[in-house]
Amino acid sequence: MLLVVLLPFIFAIAIPFISKWKDKFHPGVFVTLIPAIIFIYFVRFIGTGFEPLTREYSWIPSLDMNIVFYLDGLSLLFVLLISGIGALVAFYSIYYLHKSEQLGHFYVYFLIFMGSMLGVVLSDNVFVLYSFWEFTSLSSFLLIGFWNYKQESRYGALKSMLITVFGGLSLLGGLIFMSVLTKTTSIQGMIDQQQLILNSEFFPLILGLILLGAFTKSAQFPFHIWLPDAMEAPTPVSAYLHSATMVKAGIYLVARYSPMLSSSEWFFIIVSTVGIITLCWGSYMAVRQTDLKAILAFSTISQLGMIMAMLGFGTEIAVFAAVFHILNHATFKGSLFMVAGIVDHETGTRDIRKLGGLMTFLPITATIALLASFSMAGVPLPFLNGFYSKELFFDASLHLEVSGEGITGFLMSIIPYLAVFGSIFTFVYSMYFFFSSFRGKSNIEQLPKKPHEAPWGMLLSPIILVAAVIVIGLFPHLINQPFIEHAASAVKGMEIHEHHIKFWHGIKTPLIMSLTVVFLGTVLVLSRKVWQPVYNYLPGRLSFNKVYDGMVDRLESYSSIVTKGYMNGSLSRYVRLVLAAILVITFAFMAITGGFTVDTSNLAEITLPEIFVAVLMICAAVGTIITNNRIAAILILGVVGYGLSMLFVLYRAPDLALTQLIIETVTVALFLLAFYHLPKMRKKEESASTRTLNLIISIGFGALMTMIAISAHSSKYFESIANYFLEKSHSLGGGDNVVNVILVDFRGLDTLFEIVVLGIAAMAIYGLVRLRGKEEEEE
Amino acid sequence: MSNLTALPIILPLIAGIIMAFIHKKTTIVRRLSQVFTVFNLLVVGGIFLYVLQNGAIILETGDWAAPYGIILVGDLLSMTLVLTSNLVATACVFYAPKSLSKEQEAFYFYSFFFMLIAGVSGAFLTGDLFNLFVFFEVLLMASYGLIVLGNGKAQLRESIKYVLINLFSSMLFVTTIAFLYSVVGTVNMAQVAERVQEVEQQGILTTIAIMFFFVFATKAAVFPLYYWLPRPYISPNPVVSALFGALLTKVGIYSILRIFTLIFNQDVQLTHTLFIYLAALTMIFGVVGALSTNNIKLVVAYNIIPAVGFMLMGIGIFTEVSVSGTIYYLVHDMIIKGALFLLVGAVAYVAGTSDLRKMSGLIHHYPVLGWLFFIASLVLAGIPPFSGFIGKLLLLRGGLAEEEILIVIVGLVTSLLILFSMIRIFIRGFWGEKTEIPLPEREHKGKMMAWPIGLLLTFSVLLGVGAEWFYPSIESISKYLMDPQLYIDSVLKE
Amino acid sequence: MEIIMAILAGILFTTGIYNLLQKQLLRIVIGTGLISHGAHLFILTMGELKTGAPPILSEGVEKYTDPLPQALILTSIVISFGVTSLLLVLAYRTSKINGTDNMEQMRGTDYE
Repeated sequence: MLLVVLLPFIFAIAIPFISKWKDKFHPGVFVTLIPAIIFIYFVRFIGTGFEPLTREYSWIPSLDMNIVFYLDGLSLLFVLLISGIGALVAFYSIYYLHKSEQLGHFYVYFLIFMGSMLGVVLSDNVFVLYSFWEFTSLSSFLLIGFWNYKQESRYGALKSMLITVFGGLSLLGGLIFMSVLTKTTSIQGMIDQQQLILNSEFFPLILGLILLGAFTKSAQFPFHIWLPDAMEAPTPVSAYLHSATMVKAGIYLVARYSPMLSSSEWFFIIVSTVGIITLCWGSYMAVRQTDLKAILAFSTISQLGMIMAMLGFGTEIAVFAAVFHILNHATFKGSLFMVAGIVDHETGTRDIRKLGGLMTFLPITATIALLASFSMAGVPLPFLNGFYSKELFFDASLHLEVSGEGITGFLMSIIPYLAVFGSIFTFVYSMYFFFSSFRGKSNIEQLPKKPHEAPWGMLLSPIILVAAVIVIGLFPHLINQPFIEHAASAVKGMEIHEHHIKFWHGIKTPLIMSLTVVFLGTVLVLSRKVWQPVYNYLPGRLSFNKVYDGMVDRLESYSSIVTKGYMNGSLSRYVRLVLAAILVITFAFMAITGGFTVDTSNLAEITLPEIFVAVLMICAAVGTIITNNRIAAILILGVVGYGLSMLFVLYRAPDLALTQLIIETVTVALFLLAFYHLPKMRKKEESASTRTLNLIISIGFGALMTMIAISAHSSKYFESIANYFLEKSHSLGGGDNVVNVILVDFRGLDTLFEIVVLGIAAMAIYGLVRLRGKEEEEE
Repeated sequence: MSNLTALPIILPLIAGIIMAFIHKKTTIVRRLSQVFTVFNLLVVGGIFLYVLQNGAIILETGDWAAPYGIILVGDLLSMTLVLTSNLVATACVFYAPKSLSKEQEAFYFYSFFFMLIAGVSGAFLTGDLFNLFVFFEVLLMASYGLIVLGNGKAQLRESIKYVLINLFSSMLFVTTIAFLYSVVGTVNMAQVAERVQEVEQQGILTTIAIMFFFVFATKAAVFPLYYWLPRPYISPNPVVSALFGALLTKVGIYSILRIFTLIFNQDVQLTHTLFIYLAALTMIFGVVGALSTNNIKLVVAYNIIPAVGFMLMGIGIFTEVSVSGTIYYLVHDMIIKGALFLLVGAVAYVAGTSDLRKMSGLIHHYPVLGWLFFIASLVLAGIPPFSGFIGKLLLLRGGLAEEEILIVIVGLVTSLLILFSMIRIFIRGFWGEKTEIPLPEREHKGKMMAWPIGLLLTFSVLLGVGAEWFYPSIESISKYLMDPQLYIDSVLKE
Repeated sequence: MEIIMAILAGILFTTGIYNLLQKQLLRIVIGTGLISHGAHLFILTMGELKTGAPPILSEGVEKYTDPLPQALILTSIVISFGVTSLLLVLAYRTSKINGTDNMEQMRGTDYE
């Protein structure tokens, strides 16, 4: 099974080589084979006696990241959708994409996506799942940006990436949290130990993180905004990723975790609410659109909302309907996207205001569109699968198994009405889709191309899908028992047997709801002219796109403002900030830990010469600040240095004193040399407040150092290792000057590298002096 | 065998000296340096394998027993980092001739380069605090040499800020060592650790610990001490930026990791909680910086900072898992930062500008650079299965296990913004309308520059996909760090 | 006496930092010089002051001053010397090329 999942990746690597011969044959031919093989491999698992099976492959066992494939009914449903629709779309793309396009790139992304998507639905290991999850987002990003010379493509690509990766990271947080709580990385393992998660005080957070991941991916309100912009991708991509498969990854995730999460009341509240709102919002927005693909995009959003809502209901019938609708939606929506692609390809536009009367020119396409859009609308005809799942949805919305109190009670009472409301608009846009492009007055003159029927190769895939629509519609039991039931049972976490699927139940509430939808929908369609201004007016300025755009723009502009605010290139500003931070935090720590101690018992006595030198040094040090004469400042600095060497003498450090004396002299000379050519010192011109601030910081810092020094000196807890040096210097080091012995022997490495430092400094100085830089390089 | 530990320091030192003497013969120096670097890499690799199998090797320099002489401790952590630095160095040395001018090469670039490696390796290996200071000075001095190389106007302007800040923090460093010496009477790290443990880090010791933290945090660019970093890092040649980005801040992080696992591990409640908060702020401000600019080099330079935040987070959480996350991230970050600086260097070179607003459609002319950039962005943002993810996963796991929710959420948001900061370069610079036909000479050089970058990225990818080969040793390092007694015993051997 | 020395070193730091916060390069460099003097004085103070003879072994002396800080200071002095020399030349070149010795005019935010 590993090989099968890796197959797309392996061939993705091979594509660049194959596409070299693209003059001779279209790489799409080759790509079509891969999902076909995968489909054939998996289709044999269908059957009533199907049992979940697990395959394990070692990857990173020490991190609990092994590739574990868990194939149950739910995964199987998705795998077959991915590979089946994948094959059809790949075949369709052969005719859709011309050889002059960058086909190599296209198919590489396409295959990476397919492999990742298979990985998502098969992985039992959460981190492997997450890896594949992010890869679906990335390949989607690349596919949306396929025609990246278009500004809209780039915009759409970035948007989809930001939103889905944001969700992905949130999902990651949730997954890690669950794996930490249950000490397993297996989804099934987590479900087995669900009490650990459900009873955790962090459960609301975990639920939120996981659902955020699912909602962003499945374009749920208000994260749906990326999907319409994703339509910039080539149409085969829209048909595949943005309707049939990738956007269902979120649905898959919720379904996968349903056995565990659905026992929480919050799961019901959040998922049903979001789902229902998405359903209504999406279908209402779809009515406003004039672009065929935009209608389909919002329709997808709305349908995903419906599935999500059913998963939220969590009843047996709802779950069954959800799973059933996943399949049905893929069939009719896939074919509709391909129809939109054909129309675009053959007429050069997708604008329904320009289209019309295409039925005469594209009769086969029109038939496909008719069947698929009526199925989507849920028109009560016995051979349309969309009707069955729609009716199950109504049924489910009437039979919610929740307590009738508080929010849940409120939801329970309004959900059926919202379901009908959303479905009315679903009906309306389905009709628009068909009637405005295929019926009505044709105006070929205005079209960019003269329309004619698409080639058979292009028609084949949608025909197969529409055939599936009808077959499922006519014989729902053919797939239900061996297939859908397994999937639904996996979601519910218990066996589900479903016998509801019949065309005629007698006159019951669901049927009345369906008929209401059809009736009101028809009224709305016929009185279209009346409603158009309303559609355009509502919701008016309320747009989540604006929120997104505002956030992204502001992210950059505010970042810029914030960063320029403190990173202004001023050295003294930098130093001031750094010192202030050190000062505050260190003082705080000293106070908290009670670090400051003074111990006066073991101090050297105070003698006059040292005091004299000290006072001299203080005067000199302060003098460097006061003086405005550069020569004086340098010489005064020298005084401090000489004072220091005097102190070395007084404190029994002859070597130091000598070194300091020499080095101080050389340094002063260097100072004079270097600054002889520079401008004179000026008066300090900064404001009084800056000066005060500088004063506070510098005094504070000096005080801090002094306090630490005094405390450190007062807490000599241990004997110094120095005694060893004093004892062994003569016997082992062979020298009486202990400091020298330490330098050249005990700590010879220090001295070696001290010389290296000098050497490097010499080279650097040489370079500075000799190498004439270009006066101003390009930045 | 113990002399092996000195080789990673001594070999580059010798190489640096040789190159200094023959610096005028550019072609020979160039070839010789490449040979030497590869040789050094192989030697270090060999030592690494030896340490991996036989445990730490400890060299008492001059045969003076610890704690009296200077000790070099080649444990697995040190050797891993030395090996990684040499890997980055190898990529840099092959990239250098394409990027540097002849004069820059002649004016001791290779000497500084080798001295920098010697200093970095020394800092990783030494077991003596004062010696650590000395190696810091070696690597800083070499970095001063590198940063001024070329004497451009902006370059010198930024160099002087860089030198001043580092000079100040060095002085603070040496003073803090003196304070610590006064309290515990030794500068040998193992013995310091033993003694600090004995008195339970009482009194002034925690304050001294914080001073140490600030000294290293200035080098490592932790909030709020990173202000000096971004601009000086982009002002010199890309190859120098790569060395800086890959090695210098990481030495700071290494030092924090070492000192705060080995020595100051008693008052975790206080010190390490501070780290967590600073880590969160570091991530946020760093990534905000990365979003603030259209200069692609600056974007990468700012991206150093959130990575530092991630590593500090692991130290702050202070569990075995989180510390191993820090180590993983450290190795990963050295490689990817090296690669990224080289990469934006190459991009800026072929585009003729580092201003994103002036670029468009580069991928049509430079597909290899474009895809390398794309992959590098994913690696940097921690998208699985690349190396950034493994480190991040460990850090987040460690964080959630300790219920540090805030920092985990900050980490997740930061990852998204890192990706955004990089991908917008990809979208705006590489995608879009083709621009004018590039100069053929640039095109050729641009392609040649891709090779070393590809090498580094390959390792990055391996570090992620092949995590199984690396993680067990990283985990053992983490175990070893969390039990400081192991280090103390192996050094003091009493 | 140690306390007085600690205060003296603290004052050296204070004046050094105050100079470091100025605009003119010369002052800044002088500031670093003062800071390194302060640092060295701190190191010296951390050994025990004046409790014995200079650490040159000779007969009849019971107690010596702590030799280790002295060795450390020596190393540090030499290193500071190297850095200071570099800094001086760098400061010279920088102000020549940039045409100013005022750090506030060398911010360099002109390119974003």
